[in-house]
Amino acid sequence: MAILEEPIRGIVEVKNYIDGEWVESKGELEDVVNPVNGAVIGRVPISTKEEIDAAVEAAKVAFSDWRRTPPVARSRFLFRLKELLEANFEELSRVQTQEHGKTIDESRGETRRGIENVEVACGIPTLMQGYNSEDIASGIDEYLVPTPLGVFGIIGPFNFPFMIPLWSAPYAVATGNCVVIKPSSEVPLSQMKIAELVDEAGFPPGVWNVVNGGRTVVNGMLDHPDIEGITFVGSTPTARDVIYPRCGATGKRVIAQGGASNFMVIMPDCNLRATIPALMTSFFGNAGQRCLAGQNAIVVGDDDRFYKEFINGVTDTAKKIIIGNGLDEEVQMGPVRDAEKKKKILSYISSGIEQGARVRLDGRSEFKIKGGYPDTCFLGPTIMEYVKPEMRIVTEEIFGPTMGIIRVKTLDEAIKICDQNPFHNADAIFTSNGRTAREFKYRVKSGNVGVNVGIVAPMAFFPFSGMRDSFFGILHTQGKEAIRFFTESKVVIERWP
Amino acid sequence: MQLNTSASVISFARQLEEDSAAFYQKMAERYPKAAETSLAFSKGNGKYTEMIQRAYYGVITDAIEGCFAFSVETSKYTFVKEPAKQSSYSDALNQAIDMERKIISFYTDAAEQSKALMADVPRTFLIVVRKRKDREDTLKALLEEA
Repeated sequence: MAILEEPIRGIVEVKNYIDGEWVESKGELEDVVNPVNGAVIGRVPISTKEEIDAAVEAAKVAFSDWRRTPPVARSRFLFRLKELLEANFEELSRVQTQEHGKTIDESRGETRRGIENVEVACGIPTLMQGYNSEDIASGIDEYLVPTPLGVFGIIGPFNFPFMIPLWSAPYAVATGNCVVIKPSSEVPLSQMKIAELVDEAGFPPGVWNVVNGGRTVVNGMLDHPDIEGITFVGSTPTARDVIYPRCGATGKRVIAQGGASNFMVIMPDCNLRATIPALMTSFFGNAGQRCLAGQNAIVVGDDDRFYKEFINGVTDTAKKIIIGNGLDEEVQMGPVRDAEKKKKILSYISSGIEQGARVRLDGRSEFKIKGGYPDTCFLGPTIMEYVKPEMRIVTEEIFGPTMGIIRVKTLDEAIKICDQNPFHNADAIFTSNGRTAREFKYRVKSGNVGVNVGIVAPMAFFPFSGMRDSFFGILHTQGKEAIRFFTESKVVIERWP
Repeated sequence: MQLNTSASVISFARQLEEDSAAFYQKMAERYPKAAETSLAFSKGNGKYTEMIQRAYYGVITDAIEGCFAFSVETSKYTFVKEPAKQSSYSDALNQAIDMERKIISFYTDAAEQSKALMADVPRTFLIVVRKRKDREDTLKALLEEA
């Protein structure tokens, strides 16, 4: 199998997209680096406060006409965008692989998931309908009209550069709002490509803006009086300590999605043949850099024979994972995003060992990189046994290709471990027993719950949930909840004497 | 070669379809009495490729086991891309039947391996299997007439 052609050749000078124009930033430039080989593939500006202010002003000006554009007409812009995204599907996917490092299957999956949100938002003429009651009193009618609010800020993370801003942006503009998107400065190229297609789809200037940068842009959004709300996906400390309280202080709506430390509960009656591939994707897919990734497996029961079969199965399969350039179709796991993130993952593995975990498969050294790329950002899958719930590799988010294994005797103990963890993003159970599955999904306090599914990623027409330290806010991104988030309920009571 | 990822299996399927289309093109050139059938088969391959790609691109998501769905050893399914030189019409038909069997076996094996993981793709593989079995019957009938 050949390595797929790279869509980005040379160095892309990333610009901001403000008021329908590509604008050069006055801010300093940072390199965008392909983690596979260290090649610089772009330069991204760290935009200034004036630039974020200009984008918000453009969005504010555009809002008055855009909100008056009938929903059915707004949806046609989104239909055009959807067609353009489909037409450029493969290029968009390869760009993600080049800027992030994930495999081409994973990038295509991300592209599909992103487009699905545009598809759902295309249904805005019905999704945005209100409701009414005739004769709430004699001759008086009452009805609810969902109305747009104005300008929203969307702050994206590094791990899904294409998809995550699309959990919000299509719904925001479909409901008549205007957006300013700040992609992660590590991976700005996917959002730049989307903005090119937004431009081609003919959205009016100012409806969809992209401002690249770092803290200055985020602070500019948080402090700006004309931004009505923020959606954010990133780390828990930033979500909890920065985004959520500052939105509260400035009266903004907020969806702040944080980190995770998810559990995969393995019952001895599970179908191992189907469970093992699901666990490989869960723990090692996207090199573990997913807020839905499994971080620890809890193996239930005292059946040592089952445990041996399980541990041998996952270890043997993980050992065979082909690591390398995601544009090589044979590769099953790419690098982590950068050397700093690798260092952090390594420190967690060391911490696990110091606290008593035993390494079964050592991803620090026991791996080969197909294609001879430098190991700067590469790690192999690590599996650690004898993990305890109080260890840092359980209570903190690692965000890397590691699997800790905890053994317990009963399902009750497993659920207790899930519930005592500070994060509650996604937990799953693997079993062939319906009653066990029901008990788990009924009791576990997790935003996204899986039954024989390792990555519990809600489809675009369901909310992307999360609880406690994984989520700060009330409504979630995607689907009907996003529609609710981006609109205010205006209630009209009407009498004509 | 061992294929494990969905992307590599889809590329391999596309390659098989292109190679077998090339085989039928050659067959049509060399054996005029099989030209109509061979050209129809060659055209059909393009349709199968499109069906398979549409299924893959339609269902691939970051949440399914796209990188761990398969374990396919390609050497079992390879075939010569054109009828052997100097071969008789009957020999060429036998070669085509053998090629179809290998392709059927690839799609059947790949569908079996991945049916619990990404169901739409194996379902499409099995549609192609059914169509190719019809094709095999047509080739056998031509062989009997020859």
